[in-house]
Amino acid sequence: MSASEALASTSLARADRVKRHAPVDRIYHWLTAASVLVLMGTAFLPIIGWKFEWLTLHWTTGIVLTLLVLFHIVRALIWQDWRAMVVDMADIRNGWRALAHAVRRGGAAPDKPGKYKLLQKLYHLAIAILVLSVVVSGLLMLLKIDTPLWRRNPYWFAADTWGAIYSIHGFAAMAMITFVMIHIYFALRPEEWWLTRSMLRGWISRAEYLNHCDSKRWVVSDRG
Amino acid sequence: MHLFRFATSIYGDSDVVIGASWDLLPWFVGAGAALILAHAVLKAVARGRLRQAAEIDQ
Repeated sequence: MSASEALASTSLARADRVKRHAPVDRIYHWLTAASVLVLMGTAFLPIIGWKFEWLTLHWTTGIVLTLLVLFHIVRALIWQDWRAMVVDMADIRNGWRALAHAVRRGGAAPDKPGKYKLLQKLYHLAIAILVLSVVVSGLLMLLKIDTPLWRRNPYWFAADTWGAIYSIHGFAAMAMITFVMIHIYFALRPEEWWLTRSMLRGWISRAEYLNHCDSKRWVVSDRG
Repeated sequence: MHLFRFATSIYGDSDVVIGASWDLLPWFVGAGAALILAHAVLKAVARGRLRQAAEIDQ
């Protein structure tokens, strides 16, 4: 194969790709995943009996997660199409049709989704609520510890208010275990590998795009 | 099993909530495992039915 043929072949292979996640969004995703796993490890391992100095690693990773979440909110609102993650009437109609098909009630088959499926959108909504709950309550809990940056002030809130803040943090953190388990499970299922791969490589093939997505609901340019 | 952890108030006359009870931890792990198992079983059953239908068509 000559150099020009190799170049043409590479260009053809690139033309067959549809960009799904920009590099910055993939880096954000994997940094968030790593920080959530560190936070869960430093939170729950001591509870189940692994004793170690967990607090410093926990709160510093919590600050990292807070910055990542702020970055994601700003990027989603300004540079990304945030509407792609909002549940719309087409999603509800398709969800109903899928449910009717699953319980063998017949009717019209569900249409293809846009960039994200209904269950992905609902998962994102739920995990967003949980993450915001742990981040906000966690930031308030920082008032209870001494750090190089500030001195503790446990009198900021009354005892029962502190109880509510700690409860929100604990319940949201435990619920995140359930959601992380489900997330990893679906990422590993063979029929979802095309999505998992796209979070590593950034793109899906044009065949995967046409096979899984409605090109009217997720419009991509010819250049991907 | 409690939903919350309690401590005696600084005045010593009542209990105050200090956080969620860690007794619930296995329940959240169990809920995740149950959902995963249910989905895996449903998918396997659906795949079996599809295979059966394909064999009947042939």
